[in-house]
Parts: sequence; structure tokens; C-alpha cells
Amino acid sequence: MPPDTMPPAPLEAGSSTPSSGAIYDLGYRRYDGPRLGRWHAISTLFWASLRAAFGMGRSGRAKIVPWGLAVFALIPALVAVAIIALIGEGISPFTYDNYLWQVQITFALFVAAQAPELVNSDMRHRVLALYFSHPLERLDYAAAKLGALVAALLLLALTPQLVLFAGNLLTSTDVVAGLRDQAGALPQIIGTSLLYAVTLSSIGIAIAAFTPRRAYATGAIIAFFLVTGAVSTILGEATRGSLSDWAPLIDPFALIDGTRDWLLGASIDESPVTGSSVPLPIFGGVLAAVVALAVAVIALRYQRVEA
Amino acid sequence: MALISARALTKRYGSQVTALDKLTLDVEPGIIGLVGANGAGKSTLLKILLGLLTPTSGSAEVLGMDVTTQGPTIRGLVGYMPEHDCLPPDLTATEFVSHMARIAGLPASAARERTAEVLRHVGLYEERYRQIGGYSTGMKQRVKLAQALVHDPRLLLLDEPTNGLDPAGRDEMLGLVKRTGTEFGIATIVASHLLGEIERVCTYLLAIDAGRLLRSAPIASFTERTGTLAVEVEDGTDALAARLTDRGLVARVDGRAVLVDLPDEAPYDIVRDTVEELGLSLTRLEQRRHRLEDLFEADHAA
Repeated sequence: MPPDTMPPAPLEAGSSTPSSGAIYDLGYRRYDGPRLGRWHAISTLFWASLRAAFGMGRSGRAKIVPWGLAVFALIPALVAVAIIALIGEGISPFTYDNYLWQVQITFALFVAAQAPELVNSDMRHRVLALYFSHPLERLDYAAAKLGALVAALLLLALTPQLVLFAGNLLTSTDVVAGLRDQAGALPQIIGTSLLYAVTLSSIGIAIAAFTPRRAYATGAIIAFFLVTGAVSTILGEATRGSLSDWAPLIDPFALIDGTRDWLLGASIDESPVTGSSVPLPIFGGVLAAVVALAVAVIALRYQRVEA
Repeated sequence: MALISARALTKRYGSQVTALDKLTLDVEPGIIGLVGANGAGKSTLLKILLGLLTPTSGSAEVLGMDVTTQGPTIRGLVGYMPEHDCLPPDLTATEFVSHMARIAGLPASAARERTAEVLRHVGLYEERYRQIGGYSTGMKQRVKLAQALVHDPRLLLLDEPTNGLDPAGRDEMLGLVKRTGTEFGIATIVASHLLGEIERVCTYLLAIDAGRLLRSAPIASFTERTGTLAVEVEDGTDALAARLTDRGLVARVDGRAVLVDLPDEAPYDIVRDTVEELGLSLTRLEQRRHRLEDLFEADHAA
């Protein structure tokens, strides 16, 4: 095509003689629509953080860990449903009481990997300064981040149990009777999931909030779960009598299970709580104190963190 | 209504460091330059105006609102561009600016629309779909400006907007700031330690030094006072200086250049004629930007 038959090139923005295909510079337009304020800011941050917890809107690499762990948490439920379907009810190794206890390692790893994803990048790249220069208070920021991790862990905990629930229901001979049986398990499913989600999230964010370096935060959270678990086990095995009985109170997962047992009933064989003579309400009390301490640490940290 | 006003505004960190010392000022809307050496208290003042720092004593108002009690309302109407890096590397400019628009209170659809407009205004086109981590410093500064503008603030606070930019990048950023302030009519405060930059874009100047207000006046009153013309010729620098002095100008040799005081327009013609008479080849003729130190020395001496 000879040059003289080329269509006219689009004109620069702001040109006074626009022709077809030109970019029109509309000038600056004022915004006089609604300004939704603080709650809108908090909910925006909550949803964005929840998406980030699962690597949504991020690169494929950011999705590997959260989705891999979610699948690991789900596999036992799928296996259990398959066993129920093929062989019959009543022989599954997984119940709603012990499911989360069995997959607790995936929760520890999820918190270690994703709590830093939520809070460390903003600190390291100083995005906090921008958040705090908006109608979002420092504590609003902390609450939105903690809430997002709690929600992410709830999804992680509820999904496999609901798969188990659906599997049990669909394979039962009488669906109506099955629904009546299974419905009784809903408080256990929801209550246990909440206990795991709230406890582990608040511990994870409280630790992660102290360093802008993501790798340190992940290491510190893993170390916390490893050390508390190991010390609790060693004390439980190596000592006799009352010290051994109190040892489970050091392990956050045992605290969660003791509280679950106290509030929702049904002891499980795998848990050290079952062999301990410490009254269950003490597990509940210590767990409440741990969560309160973690939340207080988060609040104080975000009141002071440099932005 | 005054854009900002402060009454005996004081900020101390601990008992030793005084960042702001009884600052009293009233500023009307416009493009206001806030100039001072590093550590003079510029960033502290901006953070107090945003309600992020509590003054030790005294009071300040922004858009008629008290900074200590109405911080959140003020922050909803102000756009802030910090001096330091503040961008997440793993998001695209579009994602990040639209996220900040929603944090500032815009509904999702308005946030998307305004993000596209504002990114076009700051000159980011196809790059806006790439991750910020791969951007040049100039592009990052544009994203920082875009996030400050996206919610259509009544007041823009820009802290060293040309930080880290090369000369061409500085020119572009300053042009952008000037256009935003004049064409869009958004009141702007530009903090900088470079008086030359302030002079080019601002209509009003606030100079602070060690937390005290040094000057608060329209920019014109500064430029009249201390203009200097730098003349460089290939050979004969001394001869030129001598001849110019003979002709009644205040001229002195400074390295390879002859510096001529500019009380009015007349020296330009005299310099041209003198260079021609002496048969010198002129390599550079430049009006010197005032250095901040000169201004401050003059004021301290006065």
C-alpha cells in the first residue's frame, strides 16, 4: 500500500482538529459520585486480602502453596467418601470430631505461608503509608487482615468437612433419616472450624507483624508450632504425674482440641487431651487467653508500626 | 476559606528533636511549594496535615477541618504521594490504583473508570497491565501520583515528587504537577529541597528551616530579587568579566563561567553586545536557578 493511501494516523490527545479514530482528550473530570468511607475501605481490604490468601489475581507461583495445601486438606475427605461409597458406612477413619486434628499440619503450613503474604509485603514495600493516609484507621487495617486470614482458614476447614457431609448424606440408604443424623454434626463442623481458624490466624498474624521480611515470618511461625508441639510432647512423655497432665496446655493444637471437647463434646483418641486429667474448661480458658494475647499484640503492633 | 492554616504548630520527637517549632501560617489554594533542606520538617508537616502525626502543641486546619479531630474526613479529601517507595511489586498499575481508589471510598465501577483516566493522565498506557516490580523509577513515580489523584482529592500533598528521577523525568513530572494544579484546579502542596523545581511549578512558596517558617510569600517576590545569568565563552572569560564590569554590570568569574547579576532585562543585551565586540564564541547562556542556600543565607543575613 503506497504511503499516500494510508489512513490518517490518530491525532495526539488534545489536538484541535480530531478526525475519525482520534483519541479525544476529555480533560480532567471531577468525581462527584458517592464516597463510601471507612467501612467500604475495610471491606475492600478484607476481600482483596482474602483473594490474596489464595493467590487470586497473582501469578501462578503464588497459587501453588495455598491451593496445594487446600488439596492436601481435602484428600482425606475424598478418600473417606470413596471408602463409604464402595464398602459401606461406619468404617471411615475420619469423623467430624477428628478431621481437622488429622490434617492440622496443613493449617500450620497455610498460616506460616499466607499470614506473611497478607501483612509482610505491605510493611516491606511501605504500602502501609498509603493505607494510613486514607480514611482507614490503623486498627481497621489490622482487623481486615486478621479477618481475611480467619475467613481463608474457615474455607480451608469447612470445605473437606462439607465434602464428607455430602458424601455421608448421598450414600445413606434413607436420605431423610441421613439428613437428620448428619444435621446434628453441623455445630461440631462449624464450631471446630471456627476454633482452628480464629486461634491459628491470630497467632500467625501476631508473629508475622513483627518483621517486614517474609521468609523470617514464615520461619518464625513454623518454629512456633514446632517448638510448642515438641515441648508439649517431650514433657508429656518424659515426665510422670501432674506435669505430664498439664503438658498439652503448651501445644496450641491441643488447646484447640481441649476447647472443642469441652464446648462440643466427643473426645478423640489421637489427641493428648484425652489422656490428660486437666479439666476441659481450663483448656478453654488458656485458649481464650492465648487468642486475647495474640489480638492485643496485633493491635499494639499496628498502633505503633512505622508507616 | 484558607487551604491550610497553622497556629504555633510544634512537633517534638522525644525531648531532643524538634521537627516543627511554633509554625504559624495561612495558605490560600494554589500550587504551593514547601521548600527546605532535608530534615527541615517538610515531611513532618505533611504528616500532621494528614492527621497521621499528632502535634505536640499548637493547632492546624486543612480545608477548614481540625487535623487532630477530623483526620479521617480530611484523609478522604486529600491525596498523598509519599517521598519513599510505597508500591507492591506483584500487582499491575491498574490493579493497584483501582484498589486504592476503592480504599478511598469509590464504588468498584467508578474506581475502574477513574483508574483508566488517571493512568492516562500521568502517561501510563500499555505498561499499566504489567507488574509494578518491573517499572522504571519514572513509571513508579507516575503510579504514586496516580493513586494520589484517583479519588479526585480537594488537596494534593506531594512529598519530593521528582525523587530519583533523571533530568528528563524531572521535567515530565513537574509538567504533570503543574498541569494537575492549573488545568484541573486541584490545590497542591509540593515539598522539595530543590528551590529550582518549586520555582518552575508553584505560585506560592513556603520556606522552612529547622522547623521554623522562613518565608511565606508568592513566588514572584523571590524571583525578582536574586537573578543570575551565567555566561560561558570558549576563551577570554576574564576579559569578558572585566569588560562587563566596565559597563556597569555586577560580574564575577566563577570557574569557566561569568556570573552576571540580573536586576532587570538590560544585562542580556549588554552581554550579547560585549561578546560580539570581543569576538568571543559564546557556548552557554543560562539563567541560574537559585540555590536554596543562597535564599537562606540572604534571609539569615537580613
